[in-house]
Amino acid sequence: MTETAAHQIAWVYDLNKCIGCQTCSVACKVLWTRDEGEKHEWWCSVNTQPGLGTPKGWETMGGGADPETGAPKVGHQPTREEFGGGFDFNYYEVFYGGTAGKAHLEPQGSRENRWAMNWDEDQGAGEWPNSYYFYLPRMCNHCTNPVCVQACATGALSKREDGLVLRDEDACLGDRFCMEACPYKKIYFNYERHVAQQCIGCFPRIEAGVAPACVRQCPGRAVFVGWLEDETSAVSRLVNEWKVALPLHGEAGTKPNVYYVPPLSPYRLKEDMSIDYEQPRIPPEYLESLFGPEVHGALATVKGEMEKVREGGSSELMKTLIAYKWQELLGPFTRDPVELTPSAAG
Amino acid sequence: MKVSTMKGGAADLASPGSAAWNSVVGESVSLGAIPAAAQPTAYIREAWAKRAYASTSSAKVAAVSDGDRLYVRIEWPDDAKANGEFPDGAGVVFPGAANSAVETLGSASAPVGLWCWQAGRDEALDIESRGPGVFRRQAGDGVKAAAALAGGKWTVVLSGPAAAAKGGKLGVVVWNGSNEERAGLGAVSKSWLGLEQA
Repeated sequence: MTETAAHQIAWVYDLNKCIGCQTCSVACKVLWTRDEGEKHEWWCSVNTQPGLGTPKGWETMGGGADPETGAPKVGHQPTREEFGGGFDFNYYEVFYGGTAGKAHLEPQGSRENRWAMNWDEDQGAGEWPNSYYFYLPRMCNHCTNPVCVQACATGALSKREDGLVLRDEDACLGDRFCMEACPYKKIYFNYERHVAQQCIGCFPRIEAGVAPACVRQCPGRAVFVGWLEDETSAVSRLVNEWKVALPLHGEAGTKPNVYYVPPLSPYRLKEDMSIDYEQPRIPPEYLESLFGPEVHGALATVKGEMEKVREGGSSELMKTLIAYKWQELLGPFTRDPVELTPSAAG
Repeated sequence: MKVSTMKGGAADLASPGSAAWNSVVGESVSLGAIPAAAQPTAYIREAWAKRAYASTSSAKVAAVSDGDRLYVRIEWPDDAKANGEFPDGAGVVFPGAANSAVETLGSASAPVGLWCWQAGRDEALDIESRGPGVFRRQAGDGVKAAAALAGGKWTVVLSGPAAAAKGGKLGVVVWNGSNEERAGLGAVSKSWLGLEQA
């Protein structure tokens, strides 16, 4: 059963502007996941594509729903080893242990099967000189067809009127059917508190008119937020009008509300190192596997608009993607967080 | 099942290995699965339609009251297969209504109460269950648990207010964590176990 929201908040990440700096990840981390049992949790994370990502191999773990019938598809619950991370480091040994030049900072514990968020950074694929990679920020997709909500037996998850999918942690008993059902594997388990946890869309900020931390802190001006049903919003125009922002693995059937402007590709180099203007370095079929067949049209539109500007013309799409004023990324959530007064509850 | 009253032995009764339990006669309880078709969400029904669960076939149950608190001891063989994700667990089920069904862990209109223990979890849970896995924590009223794993066998003592037994019957549920059993996938008493004063 699909739950519908009166509004739908949506994100658009422009992968041509994401530099993989993890500022969104860290902005989220310092705000939301510094408590007990949350060390390994990165509600927002950036991984290199192609790559195994986080949790390791998430794209092969199943879940989601049949796009036509809505019937759930069985998935795998990512384990703590597959998420990895949450390391303790040898800070004392390196900084105070008298081992200067010998000891180096590294995660403690076994080196076998070590994994973490962004573990395969910049490995990518392809052979020199035609190797390639790009960055893919990921978070809970606050899906329109939230299979996590539907899978939960305790009613701990719900979709709010603003479209955010939120969890009542008091009602969550750690059964983790949501983690199995989610095709994006962006739900973590807190092994200390025995509850599952995921991106909350910075709902306290949204309610106060402040953009989510991942958006506001992005130094690359690479991510937009706004109401999808507002035809004048940047997210709506990018998704619905220009159709250059696409869902990730839309075939998973959950109607995600995080969209991506797919990456343009440099051209391949021939054996004599001259440029082959006919061949993109990122295989189009790979991009299609992530963003569906619509990716070709999206890339053609972006290229066409870029060309128009190069020839001296004007492009609303290019102006939007460039975001000359960074506040344009924030949709209606333009309030400065320093204006907020901490609540009495702290 | 006879419930004897043992005054002054509360501290000992809370311990699974206590000699205070030596004189208590328990009963073997037959456990079964709640059918996949009765599970509460389409996802769970689909995921477990062809998987075996409720893998513990029976448990030994004994109960003692000290007048204020009821102590229920549950013993069952441990499945020693490793699973780092899901814990073993056990629970005591009490009727919440005259027509509450133990074999489904209650229903929307006739819930059951559930004292719940999970391996590795410090606190016991006091739950209202309205069907298999349709659990909601309720304000805990002093439900406690202690467990011991020895000789390939779990021994768990759950205790709580003696008033929980006022319905005159109880049931048990056992979750085998290595088989990813949780929520409504545990092995549940097939029928209520009547309680009578020893």
